[in-house]
Amino acid sequence: MNLTLLFQLAISGFLLGGVYSLIALGLSLIFGVMRVINFAHGEMMVWGMYVAYTILVWTGVDPFFSFLVSAIILFILGYLLQRTVVNRILDFPEAMQVLPLVGMAMVFENSARLIWGPDYISPQSRFALHSLSLGNIMIDTPRFMAFSLAIIITIIVLLFLKKTDMGKSIRAAADNRTGALLVGTDVNKVYAVCFGVGTACVGAAGGLLVPLMPLSPHIGAPFTLISFIIVILGGMGSLTGAMVGGLIIGVAESIGPELITNIFHGVGLDFDFPHTMKQVVSFFILIVIMILRPQGLFGGKKG
Amino acid sequence: MKKLYIFLLIALLFLLVLPKFLSSYVLGIFIMIFFYAYLGQSWNILTGYTGVISLGHSLYIGIGAYMTFLLTLTLGLSPWIGMWIGGIAAGLMGLVIGFFGFRFGLKGVYFVLLTIAFAEIGRLIILHLKVFGSFQGLFITPEFSFANFQFKENIPYYYIALGYVIFSLIVVQLLERSKIGRYLVALREEEDAAESLGVDVFKYKMIAIFISAFMTSLAGAFYTNYLYYLHPGTMMSMAFSIEIILRPIIGGMGTVLGPVIGSFLITPLAELSRIYFAKAGYEGLHLVIYGFLLVAVVLFFPRGVISYIKKALSRKQAEQK
Amino acid sequence: MKKRMNRRTFLKYSAAVGATTAISGFPAILKAQAPEIKIASIQPVTGVISDIGISMRRANQMAVDDINAKGGIKSKGGAKLKLLLADTEAKEEVARTEAERVIKEGAVCLVGPFLSGNAMTIATLCEQRGVPFVMDVAAADDITRKGFKFSFRVFPTTTKFADSMLFYMTRIMKDKNISKIKGVLTNTGDLFGRVQGATFKKTVTDKKFPIELLAHIEYPLGIQDLSAEVSKIKALKPDVLFPVARPGDAKLMMRELYKQRVELRAIISPGSPGWYEPEFIRDMKAISDYVMDNVPWYNPVGKMYKEVNAAFAKKFPGKYIDTNSGYAYLGVLVIADALERAKSTKAEDIVEALKKTYLKQDLMVGLAVNFDERGDNVNADTAMIQIIGQTLKVVLPDKAAEAQYIYPMPKQLWERGM
Repeated sequence: MNLTLLFQLAISGFLLGGVYSLIALGLSLIFGVMRVINFAHGEMMVWGMYVAYTILVWTGVDPFFSFLVSAIILFILGYLLQRTVVNRILDFPEAMQVLPLVGMAMVFENSARLIWGPDYISPQSRFALHSLSLGNIMIDTPRFMAFSLAIIITIIVLLFLKKTDMGKSIRAAADNRTGALLVGTDVNKVYAVCFGVGTACVGAAGGLLVPLMPLSPHIGAPFTLISFIIVILGGMGSLTGAMVGGLIIGVAESIGPELITNIFHGVGLDFDFPHTMKQVVSFFILIVIMILRPQGLFGGKKG
Repeated sequence: MKKLYIFLLIALLFLLVLPKFLSSYVLGIFIMIFFYAYLGQSWNILTGYTGVISLGHSLYIGIGAYMTFLLTLTLGLSPWIGMWIGGIAAGLMGLVIGFFGFRFGLKGVYFVLLTIAFAEIGRLIILHLKVFGSFQGLFITPEFSFANFQFKENIPYYYIALGYVIFSLIVVQLLERSKIGRYLVALREEEDAAESLGVDVFKYKMIAIFISAFMTSLAGAFYTNYLYYLHPGTMMSMAFSIEIILRPIIGGMGTVLGPVIGSFLITPLAELSRIYFAKAGYEGLHLVIYGFLLVAVVLFFPRGVISYIKKALSRKQAEQK
Repeated sequence: MKKRMNRRTFLKYSAAVGATTAISGFPAILKAQAPEIKIASIQPVTGVISDIGISMRRANQMAVDDINAKGGIKSKGGAKLKLLLADTEAKEEVARTEAERVIKEGAVCLVGPFLSGNAMTIATLCEQRGVPFVMDVAAADDITRKGFKFSFRVFPTTTKFADSMLFYMTRIMKDKNISKIKGVLTNTGDLFGRVQGATFKKTVTDKKFPIELLAHIEYPLGIQDLSAEVSKIKALKPDVLFPVARPGDAKLMMRELYKQRVELRAIISPGSPGWYEPEFIRDMKAISDYVMDNVPWYNPVGKMYKEVNAAFAKKFPGKYIDTNSGYAYLGVLVIADALERAKSTKAEDIVEALKKTYLKQDLMVGLAVNFDERGDNVNADTAMIQIIGQTLKVVLPDKAAEAQYIYPMPKQLWERGM
């Protein structure tokens, strides 16, 4: 059992998990407040990536700064999406809610394609190749920066929700929509802002990921799925849950195959758990959590 | 409604003679309409009628297709026989998922994710099995014969696909009228009330998922021997699951004709949008438009197109009186 | 309307009609002398590999335009080729419908479709409808093992890839006096990747070749994070990395190798597209240097290549002819050549003509296009290309080489001043 390798994998996974947390945070907000399954979540993240990429190409500003612009643009897109489409489907049966967002996912994905082309783009940003060493362990600088910034953004969002009036309205509307209406909250506006903040998170995460992975219009779907797994693992509507869940899933996907291979070899099974099955690890965690503790690690009430 | 039956009979006769007048290409479109109508109808049993949302139905058709293939490969079994065995296998898988979901009280988005998780795990496992072609996929050898479920012309495929649809319509109609069907609808509408009245909710949900999975998988034999290539990436993907649910949702869930109408609307729509909007330099535009159309249709027809047809017809009837 | 037509009016009318027919008849006569011959390009223009699909469609179209500019199909009175466009969306069911559609619209031959799965569906359909099908690019061996009479493949088979790869490796090892190489094989989890990887591994084992594969790592297509895989590669300390990759993961791989400081003697792909795409060099810059790839490639010293590439690069700035677009161009040439010799647009005649193809070409590495009984191009071959000074150069075989190959890499990835 190569412990250094496993530790290295765990660190890489942990850092990436920070960004996953941010993506899941956005979804947790949207789902927690509006109970909507945002199937366009991953595709909107990809738009965030493209915005940061475009800024990099036009102005040379590194995504580690321009992610803010991604966040703003995605906030606007999310706000508009909520007011035009999502608001109308809030009371639809769940199956009917799926389709419009799937449709929007198609729109985002293919319009990204029309605008930026189908090729994989991998722009060179300032820190893209940099790494730090701590003894035997290599710390990927862009990943570390993405992680740090993601944590900072998460804290800011949490503060927003706890301290500002709008934030409190959002939390109130989440807990009790009718009650919020009764006290005169403009629920539509609150929902739209909430959705917008959710997509802003995902846009920011996209910007942070640009130095880490190649972009193409079609990479969104797996991120939607992963963010759902994280939200359920962490607990629907629990923001801390989204954070912790993201870190757990990041680590699990990274060390999963290697760890399982080691276990197989340990019990005498000459079988390598293929890396191509790494998503099975996350899905397995999802199933186990849903069965044993459906409210997730930090979720409050059941279901 | 006698008028409805007469209308359907005429429609059926029309569809039966249509192949004489149509090109192979247009027949192919009809085949796809029927194929997806059938799949949608099978899904409808679980989601439309029972109210349990599944986004992992591609798993069942995958099991059906691969099982049928395996039986042909190892035992030389004709797909006509193999597909029923595949159906049982898929039904059992459905029961497993149902067990985890229903026993542990997973509802709504939780159950949806459960179905996605199982479908994805299934896809990934099959992707790694050499006997199923692994990452390469399976290249099915064409040997045209009825026993092999393989035909040279589109006409036999057309009639078989039509047969599938009629089969599913009969099943759903029977279900709707039977005691089982009434229980399913009851627990869709008011699960707690039904339970308090002594309905074994778990049992009926399990029945529903078994039937739904079983029927969905039967289409696997058709798919394999129509396209001659199997790959879990296309067949057992989330994208395919979404294609399956599109038509019944747009047509009208929980109705007998909903999935059929939905398929007659959506399938030609996809085809036309590809032909008219897929120009060089604008590749992907047709998918953007398709996406917007999906959103628009759901926003304007939230209860499915069929409910609006029904309303329009009954308004007309009322006016006539 | 007049109830009667008197003779005068009748004569007036007939004269007018006659005159009009005489005048308007001319274009009709002219048209009859130069009809169109429709062929269809069926590629994955939308969907996950649309970048390749678009490139291939463009090449198909350019070949058609070039042939028409040179007079069309002369044996059919200078008939111009018309290219019908079909998009498979990378899905088999769409491939089938689209193939059916273009056949209905009168295509006498199809060319495409890059993806082996789509190729299987289209080949079966073409067999069912009796329409010839020329696969410009499609690698899976199985397709031509089904006894299809109407399908022909210009692209090399995967077995050919592996055989050529070992041929070149033998040469390198002999030149550099290397008795054994420790390697790690990686590939993407897609059809091409898996087959390439598996065939390479199998050929190495079957032929007892002195490459010791310490590990065979596969990762999902569309993966966004290769840190785990690269950590594993580093731990194994191989001499050579044999990666089969698509553009996205190729770049990801290089960055990870850099960041994790993995020391290697060489990076030699048994054959994959990720390494020769212009975006790879553009984004990776000096890091891309010295990567080698064993691919069916254009012939850099060929006259046809130089002309076609110049035209392609001019028409599509920033792009150039590569494996896929090259073969797409060649595929259309094969069809035109067959039409020329068949002197007819009947399917059986075209198939007969295709069987007898001996098309000399220096667009792609390899000799004249010539099909065997199964429909495979016996002379399809691969070349070893290498990125030197951030440019792609053919380094083997010698007769098509533009430069001498460089092994081992003189500088590791992080020693290149980036």
